[in-house]
Amino acid sequence: MAEEFNTEGMLDIYLFENQQLLEQLQEMVLEQKDADCFDEDSINEIFRTMHTIKGSSGIMMFDNITAISHKLEDVFYYLRESHPEHVPHVKLVEHVLEVEDFISGELEKISNGDTADGDPKSIIKELDAFLDMLKNGDGEDAPQLAENVHEEPKQFYIAPVATDASRFYKVYVTFSPDTGMANIRAYKIVYAMKEIAEDLLYFPEDIISDESSAEVIMKEGFKILLQAQCSEEDIRKIIGIGYDIQAVDIYECKADEFLQGFSDPEPQPKIDLESSVEVIEARAEKENEPEKKPAKPQIAPGDFVIKSKEPGKQKKLAKDKPKNEKAAFISVNVQKMDQLMDLIGELVISESVVLQNPDLKVPGLNLTNFNKAAQQMAKISTDLQNVIMSMRMVPLTTLFQKMNRIVFDVSRKLGKDIEFEMIGEHTEVDKNISENISDPLMHMVRNAVDHGIETNEERKESGKKEKGKVTLSARTEAGKVWISVTDNGRGLERHKILAKARKQGILDDEKPDSAYTDKEVFQFITLPGFSTNEKVTEYSGRGVGMDVVVQNIQAIGGSLEIDSIAGMGSTMSLKIPLTLAIIDGIVLETGTSSFVVETGVIKEFVNVKEDMMIHEPNGEEYIMIRGECYPVLRLGEWYGLKEYRKSVEDGTMLIFEVEGKTICLFVDRLVGKQEIVVKPIPPYVKKVKGISGCTQLGDGSIALILDPVGLIE
Amino acid sequence: MDEIMEQKRRAEDLNVSDEHDAQKGKYMTFKSGNEYFGLKIQYVNEIIGFQAITAIPETEDYIKGLINLRGKIIPVIDVRLRFRQPPFEYNDRTCIIVIDVKSTVVGLIVEKIAEVVEIREENILPPPSIGRGDKVQNKYVYGIGKVGDSVKLLLDPDKLLNDDDMSVLEQAGEMNNSEEVDDK
Repeated sequence: MAEEFNTEGMLDIYLFENQQLLEQLQEMVLEQKDADCFDEDSINEIFRTMHTIKGSSGIMMFDNITAISHKLEDVFYYLRESHPEHVPHVKLVEHVLEVEDFISGELEKISNGDTADGDPKSIIKELDAFLDMLKNGDGEDAPQLAENVHEEPKQFYIAPVATDASRFYKVYVTFSPDTGMANIRAYKIVYAMKEIAEDLLYFPEDIISDESSAEVIMKEGFKILLQAQCSEEDIRKIIGIGYDIQAVDIYECKADEFLQGFSDPEPQPKIDLESSVEVIEARAEKENEPEKKPAKPQIAPGDFVIKSKEPGKQKKLAKDKPKNEKAAFISVNVQKMDQLMDLIGELVISESVVLQNPDLKVPGLNLTNFNKAAQQMAKISTDLQNVIMSMRMVPLTTLFQKMNRIVFDVSRKLGKDIEFEMIGEHTEVDKNISENISDPLMHMVRNAVDHGIETNEERKESGKKEKGKVTLSARTEAGKVWISVTDNGRGLERHKILAKARKQGILDDEKPDSAYTDKEVFQFITLPGFSTNEKVTEYSGRGVGMDVVVQNIQAIGGSLEIDSIAGMGSTMSLKIPLTLAIIDGIVLETGTSSFVVETGVIKEFVNVKEDMMIHEPNGEEYIMIRGECYPVLRLGEWYGLKEYRKSVEDGTMLIFEVEGKTICLFVDRLVGKQEIVVKPIPPYVKKVKGISGCTQLGDGSIALILDPVGLIE
Repeated sequence: MDEIMEQKRRAEDLNVSDEHDAQKGKYMTFKSGNEYFGLKIQYVNEIIGFQAITAIPETEDYIKGLINLRGKIIPVIDVRLRFRQPPFEYNDRTCIIVIDVKSTVVGLIVEKIAEVVEIREENILPPPSIGRGDKVQNKYVYGIGKVGDSVKLLLDPDKLLNDDDMSVLEQAGEMNNSEEVDDK
């Protein structure tokens, strides 16, 4: 049982870590998507990320993820080592994102308990093609080189298992004095040896990109440390002595010597002319290159050593990106968070029970010290409450990054040149909200890119000079979060929308077009099936789906505002509550029960006189207030409560306005205004119409939250 | 950690067949009406004194409402009403047994908590089958445990909480009957 638990824990960690890695990866890639190429740090970072994912997926035996991450790792290994010129950057970005998508998809499947059965072959093929293209673009024998190197790490993994029958060799190759491009030839040897090698090290190491390595090879010979299950003869066959190779010397050695690398002075070569020179040189070299020694022992099997390149070798870099400090995070089970929140709520209540304990009311007590201590405690518990509330808040950054990605994808596919700007992405909202607005926001952003922004040609025709631009901004205002998607595209065309609305019979025939305000007109596009777009594209048809956006936003208590100037662009703003968990409510009582109503829906409170009531013979009641007639609902009667007030003159009327309907609710008395933490009614109790949840009041008692929509029904 | 694991392993070695060794065969007994009932102690989370209950309108009468259990809001049901027995006055002996059945946490209002007893397997008899529908509580009682001279009715908490199809049907039947009576 314990083992089973462990694997599950491992899977959780695997999923969590890799999702985080992928998020970071995407963020980084998108940050540099507009640059000419990735800077060195990013290449290393992507390489490392892929390496990590490959490793952990290998352990977890998700072969498809392993395979694909390995392939991308290869590509970046090549980029890192060979610094090819003319990398088609956008293409590369697309490939990275494609791989990222694939892995995310697989991770999603895994976390849902499905099998990760996605087929990476097609992506791998594309990556292969891409890599080939890169290599060919680089010319000469480079392709062999890169491929060769990246295959080695693969061997590292196998090595520890297969060492039993392995033998270790030191191979010294001396080239003919007049050989050109010795480094490339050396690489051919390495490439050939890869067939048999379990582990392979060679010196000079940097034979691909470092031209000067040829000289070193010519002078000192080319040295290879080989771990393989073959005889000396086999190695000789592989290397062969051709016109360019003057001599090959092979010495068998022990595993630990092998690990020590070339720094080991031990191997006493057979006495022959070339090698004795070499040994001397090799010893000299050790002294000449002191920096090499400390580096060597750190290369443990399976590790890549990421060397920082000398300044001279740096290629054009993407803009110098500021090193942003990554905050440290731990992941916590949401259940534990909720529990903590409950406990803190309880602490606050028991605190007030202690501090207002009747025992303290005994006259003549000296409570000075007690009061001081009590004050301190109250302060701490308030802080504690604030902290736990803030823990549920997450920045919108991740969500905004996702949008960045969408803009990138869609604009590329549509061939539009679009700039994307994010403002206020660090604004924090409750985690639930953040999850709930993801889909609507995606829809709005797609709309903006697809329909808001014109094609490049159209923009030219209409004389717009600047690039198409989509701005995503977030800000907090008056306890609400505003998230706006702004584009500088063609904007909404009022007359088109109106014409369409007329056709669909939404408009009042009596009213002229001019009687509708812009806001009203623009709201039409949120109606189901309302689209003024002539052509429907892969991504969106303005209006199609806007109704879903509005529905989703309303479901979390938000609203959508549309603003637009024809020809200049449009802005769609979501106004959403900061958190779902806490609402501003009015506490009221009827009979012996307490209820809470969200403040936002209450239009007014009125005390009424009996003569304002209108009684219908069938028992229904209405009330006339300032010449308007509203239906009346008596809460006590409705729920069959006990001891509620019968006469309307003893209680208070609440006037609600929801979804355009107005209703009066008669209650006994108002208690006060309070911020309340919404809790669900336990599912054991079946759903009661008009009650949406419950909450704990300051004295620890429970109040039910009234849902005006349910009451109106 | 290791020590705990070690102990656990040893415990498992000694008694492989049962994880809840300490709790095996133990029953929490309480009084409701004239009878004593027993609940397997694994289901019992805790026992709390009676506290203020917030009624929920439009629910079954035996669901008395919600209570606040250290910030967690749980429903409470009145066992006597659940058994269709006449209601009783709540007093300071009244207790709420908080039980957790398949992650549903519910409080049971009972007249009096008795004790925790151990009932061996061989002392548990199947409930005598009287004519169908005669005694409603029979379906909640899965066995009768003998403790010395007295007997405890052993309750199936899952049925106690969830098996309300029958009662709803019966209620409907009763309501129809009463309406018919009214009509006449």
